[in-house]
Amino acid sequence: MDFRFTPEEEAFRKEVKEFFGKELPPDWPGVDPDQYHEDAFDHIHEFSKALQKKFAAKGWLGLTWPKKYGGQEAPLWKQMILEEELTYRGTAGYDAYQFLGGCGDIVLEFGTEAQKEKYIPPMCRGEVKWATGMSEPNAGSDLASLQLKADLQGDYFVLNGQKTWQSAAHRADFAPVYCRTDPNLAKHRGISIVIVDYKTPGITMRRLTQMSGLDAFCEVFYDNVKIPKENLLGQLNGGWAVVMSALNHERTYGIQLIVNIKRDLDLLVQYCRETKVNGEPLAKNALLRNRLAEMAIQLEVARTLGYKVNSMVLKGQNPMATANQMKILGGIMTQRVAILGMQILGLYGQLGPVGGNWKQMDEKKDKWARLGGRMKHLYLTTVCNTIAAGTTEVARNGLATMGLGLPREPKPAAPAKK
Amino acid sequence: MDLSFSEEQEMLWKSARDFLASRCPKTVVRQMEEDEKGYVPELWKEMAGLGWLGLPFPERYGGGGFKFLDLAILLEEMGRACLPGPFISTVVLGGMPVAEWGTEEQKKEILPKVCEGKAIMTLALTEPSARYDAGSVKVKAVVDGGDYVISGTKLFVPDAHIADYIVVVARTAEKANPEEGITLFIMDGKSRGVSTFVLRTIAGDKQCELTMDKVRVPKGMVLGKVDKGWEMVKKVIEWGALAKTAEMVGGAQQVMEMTIQYAKDRVQFDRPIGSFQIIQHYLADMSIDVDSSRVSLHKAAWMLSEGIGCTKEVSVIKGWVSEAYRRVTAQAHQIHGAIGFTKDHDLELYYRRAKAGELFFGDADFHREIVAQQLGL
Repeated sequence: MDFRFTPEEEAFRKEVKEFFGKELPPDWPGVDPDQYHEDAFDHIHEFSKALQKKFAAKGWLGLTWPKKYGGQEAPLWKQMILEEELTYRGTAGYDAYQFLGGCGDIVLEFGTEAQKEKYIPPMCRGEVKWATGMSEPNAGSDLASLQLKADLQGDYFVLNGQKTWQSAAHRADFAPVYCRTDPNLAKHRGISIVIVDYKTPGITMRRLTQMSGLDAFCEVFYDNVKIPKENLLGQLNGGWAVVMSALNHERTYGIQLIVNIKRDLDLLVQYCRETKVNGEPLAKNALLRNRLAEMAIQLEVARTLGYKVNSMVLKGQNPMATANQMKILGGIMTQRVAILGMQILGLYGQLGPVGGNWKQMDEKKDKWARLGGRMKHLYLTTVCNTIAAGTTEVARNGLATMGLGLPREPKPAAPAKK
Repeated sequence: MDLSFSEEQEMLWKSARDFLASRCPKTVVRQMEEDEKGYVPELWKEMAGLGWLGLPFPERYGGGGFKFLDLAILLEEMGRACLPGPFISTVVLGGMPVAEWGTEEQKKEILPKVCEGKAIMTLALTEPSARYDAGSVKVKAVVDGGDYVISGTKLFVPDAHIADYIVVVARTAEKANPEEGITLFIMDGKSRGVSTFVLRTIAGDKQCELTMDKVRVPKGMVLGKVDKGWEMVKKVIEWGALAKTAEMVGGAQQVMEMTIQYAKDRVQFDRPIGSFQIIQHYLADMSIDVDSSRVSLHKAAWMLSEGIGCTKEVSVIKGWVSEAYRRVTAQAHQIHGAIGFTKDHDLELYYRRAKAGELFFGDADFHREIVAQQLGL
């Protein structure tokens, strides 16, 4: 047993930290792993695009991918350290979960040689952005109920239908879109994945505004959109295998949520050390000390559990149960930090601009905001952390049945026909 | 980074589990709750023979030369089995301080006896104020010729009534800073003036009132430096907290396994109750408490084994497990329903031990304050 990183790993961590020192402004507040800041604000998106090119120059996009397609074939531990440092700093331009994991990894796993050669190198060069088209108005947790049709007509799939909650769709070049290719098969057996170029005619998008005020994701409408049949990813009607693989990457997201929110806890600790109320330092308030320490303990314990996921993956063990645990913890703990932040700021927690501490402060309206309004943003945006990328309930179901071996809930009998 | 046990550790773990499963059934556990001594002498001898009592001590004193992580592996299994007796008191609270700070003479006199199972030890720290801070140490030790004379009452002292040696934390000087002027003494448990009685506790463990009426301890039995004892006490609190945490983690694992099995076996409404979503969610959350506790326990135990300062990590895990184990046992009871509420069922053994463990060497609030300090607040 050894909880240390090797000298080589520590050297890489140092290299990554130095990169931030150079590339990020010293007062960089940090974006969140949900990508919402980057997707909503044009100026952050532009900065993110530029940063992505710099990551590419370091070989950090597709770090573990085959050299043949532009990757570095680096060990998985390097990727994990990179993600940890990037996430803690809230760096933009690096989407390990959705982009590299949910898109790149599945192309590598299920793609033809031609597809790998076409799509992976531009990802490694930082030239493209990808989104993912899974959810629909009637297919959220019940993803298998998706209805977007892809009819094979000659050399094309013709897509008709709608996707929703699509993060980054309005910024993206491509997306794997999960479609129904055979309505006569059982729900999850009639699904195929098609790689869509968003420039294809017939696609319209409508930005949706989240309760935080960020318009970070979209409804995407497909009206007779013709996608070449070569863009089929994996087997026709074999899409569920791709779904399973993509959902495996939830483990990354859970860990990222925990690592990211530590930045906010550190912010709160610093705030309490620096702030006096009626002459009394907040840091000496017994109640706040207790609550901050409790939160620090929870994050530390959760982070350490995350190392177990990584350790299992490296040993080729199935980490699904622990990954589910991380997803649950990530959602709940980010919400707890937000609640704690609001408690600490009291009335001041209500104040601040949309998106929090991104210097979009109005001279008057945001004049009295503390921490740039970060806690208000966090309080609003973390509502979705127990919902997005798989709800806490679904994660608990999976953990209980597949992780602990409990019997599945029996399906109710079909309603009697009248 | 590697989170797995070595082959040797795997063997220690498996053999401990098997040994305790056969030699420490729940009938013994329940008997010992009522028993005056609180342990089975034959079992204690067998554990000595297995090298368990000397596990962390140097070989030249009869020990096994193992590290704290190995001890934690044993302790997890002891917690799983609800092993009664003065193991933590003797090995961690008494033996480890002597091994760390004792003079050669003290080590030579005491450690071999501990390793052979011939001496039981404990630490007398808390007083009726029931706090673990230096200011609460008020029992006085005064020089008289070649001895110190100790008078006062210690409370919640585990296994004091059977201890051959008691490490007593006493005040030898009044200073502005209460952390100064504290000294540790290795007191003979059978000294004139020592009287103990066993308190009736929630977990049936033998915590005692220890009264010292002008008890004489020779100067040669001062442990470490006079007036400089608090630094040592802080370390022993870390060791005690971590050892108890290991026990609690083992207990929590067993509780979870029992409850999963129950949820699979118990049929109501024509189906196993484990097929109801809410039960599945309770158990999912339970697995998070148990699994997260184990990894963090191993991290702290590993750090201690490597001599890496782990004050924060120990308080993180004791602070966490104090509440996590309580949650686990409470939820387990909820899932078991009425059957778990009777003494016919083993579950209540764990529920009571979870509470005792929570309080032992600092509850969550105590350790949160340490973490708060470590955060710079």
